[in-house]
Amino acid sequence: MIKLKNIFKWVNSGGNRVFLLKDINLDIKEGEFISIMGPSGSGKSTLLNVIGMLDEFNEGEYQFLDQPVHLLKEKQKAQFYKTHIGFVFQAYHLIDELTVYENIETPLLYQNIKSSERQAIVADILDRFNIVGKKDLFPAQLSGGQQQLVGVARALVAKPKLILADEPTGNLNTKQGEEIMQLFKQLNEEDGVTIIQATHSEKNAAYGSKIINLLDGRVDK
Amino acid sequence: MLKNFFKTAWRGMVKNKFYSTINILGLTIGMASAILILLWIQNEMSHDRFYQKTDRIYLANNRDKLNGQMMAWSNTPKPLGLAIRNDYPEVEDIVRIDEYAANLLLTAGEKHFILHGIFADSGFLKVFSLPLLEGNAATALNAPNGIVLTKQLAVKLFGNEDPMGKAVSVDVTDMFTVTAVLEDLPPNTRFNFEYILPWSYAAKKSMDSNNWGSNSILTYILLKPGASQALFDEKIKNITINHTRDGADKSTTEVFTQRLKDCWLYDKQENGMYVGGRIERVKLFAIIAALILIIACINFMNLSTARSESRGKEVGIRKVIGAQRQFLIAQFMAESTLFAIVAGILSVIVVLLVLPAFNLLIGVNLFIDFSNPYYWLFALFFILLTGLLAGLYPAFYLSSIKPIKALKGAFKLAGSVVTPRKVLVVIQFTFAIVLIISTIIVSEQIKFAQNRDAGYSRSNLAFIIEFGDAHKNYELIKRGLLESGAATDVAQTSAPMTESWGDSWGFSWQGSTESDKKTDFIIFGAADDFITTMKSKIVQGRGIDVIQYKTDSTACLLNETAVKVMRLKNPIGQLITNGNDKLHVVGVVQDFILGTPYEPVQQMIICGPVLSGNVINFKLNPKPTISASLQKAEAVFKQYNPQYPFNIRYYDHEYKLKFQDEQQTGMLASLFAGLTILISCLGLLGLATFVAETRVKEIGVRKVLGASVQGIVALLSKDFLKLILISFLIASPVAWMLMHSWLASYTYQVNISLWVFIIAGALSAAIAFITVSFQAIKAAIANPIKSLRTE
Repeated sequence: MIKLKNIFKWVNSGGNRVFLLKDINLDIKEGEFISIMGPSGSGKSTLLNVIGMLDEFNEGEYQFLDQPVHLLKEKQKAQFYKTHIGFVFQAYHLIDELTVYENIETPLLYQNIKSSERQAIVADILDRFNIVGKKDLFPAQLSGGQQQLVGVARALVAKPKLILADEPTGNLNTKQGEEIMQLFKQLNEEDGVTIIQATHSEKNAAYGSKIINLLDGRVDK
Repeated sequence: MLKNFFKTAWRGMVKNKFYSTINILGLTIGMASAILILLWIQNEMSHDRFYQKTDRIYLANNRDKLNGQMMAWSNTPKPLGLAIRNDYPEVEDIVRIDEYAANLLLTAGEKHFILHGIFADSGFLKVFSLPLLEGNAATALNAPNGIVLTKQLAVKLFGNEDPMGKAVSVDVTDMFTVTAVLEDLPPNTRFNFEYILPWSYAAKKSMDSNNWGSNSILTYILLKPGASQALFDEKIKNITINHTRDGADKSTTEVFTQRLKDCWLYDKQENGMYVGGRIERVKLFAIIAALILIIACINFMNLSTARSESRGKEVGIRKVIGAQRQFLIAQFMAESTLFAIVAGILSVIVVLLVLPAFNLLIGVNLFIDFSNPYYWLFALFFILLTGLLAGLYPAFYLSSIKPIKALKGAFKLAGSVVTPRKVLVVIQFTFAIVLIISTIIVSEQIKFAQNRDAGYSRSNLAFIIEFGDAHKNYELIKRGLLESGAATDVAQTSAPMTESWGDSWGFSWQGSTESDKKTDFIIFGAADDFITTMKSKIVQGRGIDVIQYKTDSTACLLNETAVKVMRLKNPIGQLITNGNDKLHVVGVVQDFILGTPYEPVQQMIICGPVLSGNVINFKLNPKPTISASLQKAEAVFKQYNPQYPFNIRYYDHEYKLKFQDEQQTGMLASLFAGLTILISCLGLLGLATFVAETRVKEIGVRKVLGASVQGIVALLSKDFLKLILISFLIASPVAWMLMHSWLASYTYQVNISLWVFIIAGALSAAIAFITVSFQAIKAAIANPIKSLRTE
């Protein structure tokens, strides 16, 4: 599903080149659960952003579902990732002015799905995650774990093929973290969603089927 | 979709109360000001354009060379109207209107008033389709004893009773019947009368004449459909010249027409053509309205983009979950539209509250016609336009934020030298400073004219226009006033000292040329005690005294300007002739201001008792008290002129009226200056607050390193004050040019001095500093520990 070949990404800092990603080669198939590990500054988030088409790279090739992403224009990329990829962030990044229901609904709005359909889809997800009773609350009224739950629900609502999670349990306590990781495992095994997560914690990484170590922007063998 | 946008926008508005309030307040003030101006503009533009036959109505005008210049004026001779109707087939009707002669006493039962009305031809109501409450437009003015009242006059005379058919007596002895009642005149008509009397009555009062040389009435012409104005003008051009060809007084005056539609807006003539006038004011205020609205929108733009750091995160999230740029642009436009809607509703409320005071200020009765669908349509368009204007730039700016940068919090505002935000602040304050400078200069000009020596003393000087028996009993009244101690001096004149009621040309004297016959002199009639009552100064010769000098019955005085204009070296004893009239000069009087104090005094000939008096002037006796003298004076008038009310007028008041126009301009300028400053300061406050918030960390670090509170305040204020300085440098030459051209229309101008600019600049800097310092001080005294706490 995902093929990265000789990916390089750098920034110019006062005449020198600082590499954020150095010669990344990855081959990820559908249905896999990958954990990317590494210390701070090793390039985990950068790699996730590149995979998610939110960020550009300077050299190399990237094929997503056999489409050459590096050749796609901005608009096409956006169209692509919004239908196939869902993001989960460490800081949840919910929209504070919207209720739980509206937060989850928003990606569907951007895909021009009819109102009645939207209602059905969102109701489904609320039900599945057992948060129907909280649908009219605002993020400020929820605990960290609940907010992340909503974040995951939002990432799933458009039925993406791939979920990219950047330190999803970073702001949660142990118990909340475990619940989220269990959820990921369930999604991966039962719904066949490909999951790539960046994480510090070895415990979290163990939920995945494969671990990739990054050090200073390079894959560490 | 739209619902989602407005929901988010509404919740955002409520959540950020401080910024929302500033935004809404600024927009409301801007929109309310624009609405007020637009109401006024609409009134001006619709003046006299709403009659059914407006397109075919024309006003006859004269054109001739006077005082060395081509001039046009709308007062026409009495015989013109009939001559036009009789000789030209393309004329459907003519309406002669005498606006000056009808200030008459109306009596109904116990009530009597001296009121202003007009004499008009019977076609008046058919040509000018003013709405009638009662009566028939076609016939109401046919009867020689019919009178048409306006509704407010009907109420004054008859209360709630139906006035139709009731009796009204005019000038005590003439009986009339009410034949029609007009709705109260709307504000957008040039007519300002309370009653209409038929033209035949004017004739009866021997004010009708066949004199082609006397211009005193308005002649309106209704042309048949399809008639061409240009062709008609060619035909009637020489009508006055032709009719006076064989007489003693040959006229050189040409006649032309002006469309009724243009009369109100194009009332200023230049070289005999109507080129501008009120239309200039309309254009000016339209620009001001647009500018005020733009400034309010600039506020909105500035605040919205300044807060992009906090909005940036939301934009980032939305882009990540799939929003494309169009969606985001639409979302932000919905936000600004929501603000515009809220501000729009508030501004209408504000306008309704403020309208009575505004009407008082500008002297026009404006109102919002809620029943007119055009108003609603326009309101909608106006709100959408404001929303669009205010929201376009922020929408494009915010929607261009790159998601990753925003989410990381790495989206910092670049502190570049010229950001659009700074440009906008400079624009706002430039406009404000221009207005402040203009306000100061306008008030200087007014003071300058007010300080001019009027040439006579106005203190305790009053006058009454001679109605009824006052003229006949003048000598008795004069004796009564003096003997009772009500007045110390009494003098009769042909007009009040503050108005020019008569002018004439065609004079010749020793050394005069043919072209001198085109010099227009103001004709003023004054009897003996004129000089002593007015306390004017005789600079040569003596005043007119019929008692001492029998020949003074044909004597005249010249004012200083007349002597100059006539190029007389020894004016005393000179003979002045005009046709069969001969006057000899016995004295020269110091110039006194009869007309506008902004122009030089015009040349004047003061005749003795040759002209009959019209005004009794008297100086109230301050002993024992003015009010006691007033009562005595009223008693005297009651005795000798009982049928008429004691309508006393004071020269102090009349003279003050001459400054009304400019004072109005000054008040409007200061009003808009104040509003602009207010809006600009609101924006500045919002920006300063925001900057202080974003620099919290920096200020914390500086304080830890040892910065003082003053130092921090100076640091935060410095940037803003730099902007004010730039605004000042741009505004000063702009204001100078603007004021220079405004003053150019007055012959008497005040000098534009440097201190005006300095004061304006200092004032704006001070205001800006005070606005900014609130936030600066608050930020400067914050505890650095709190500021530097890491997330």
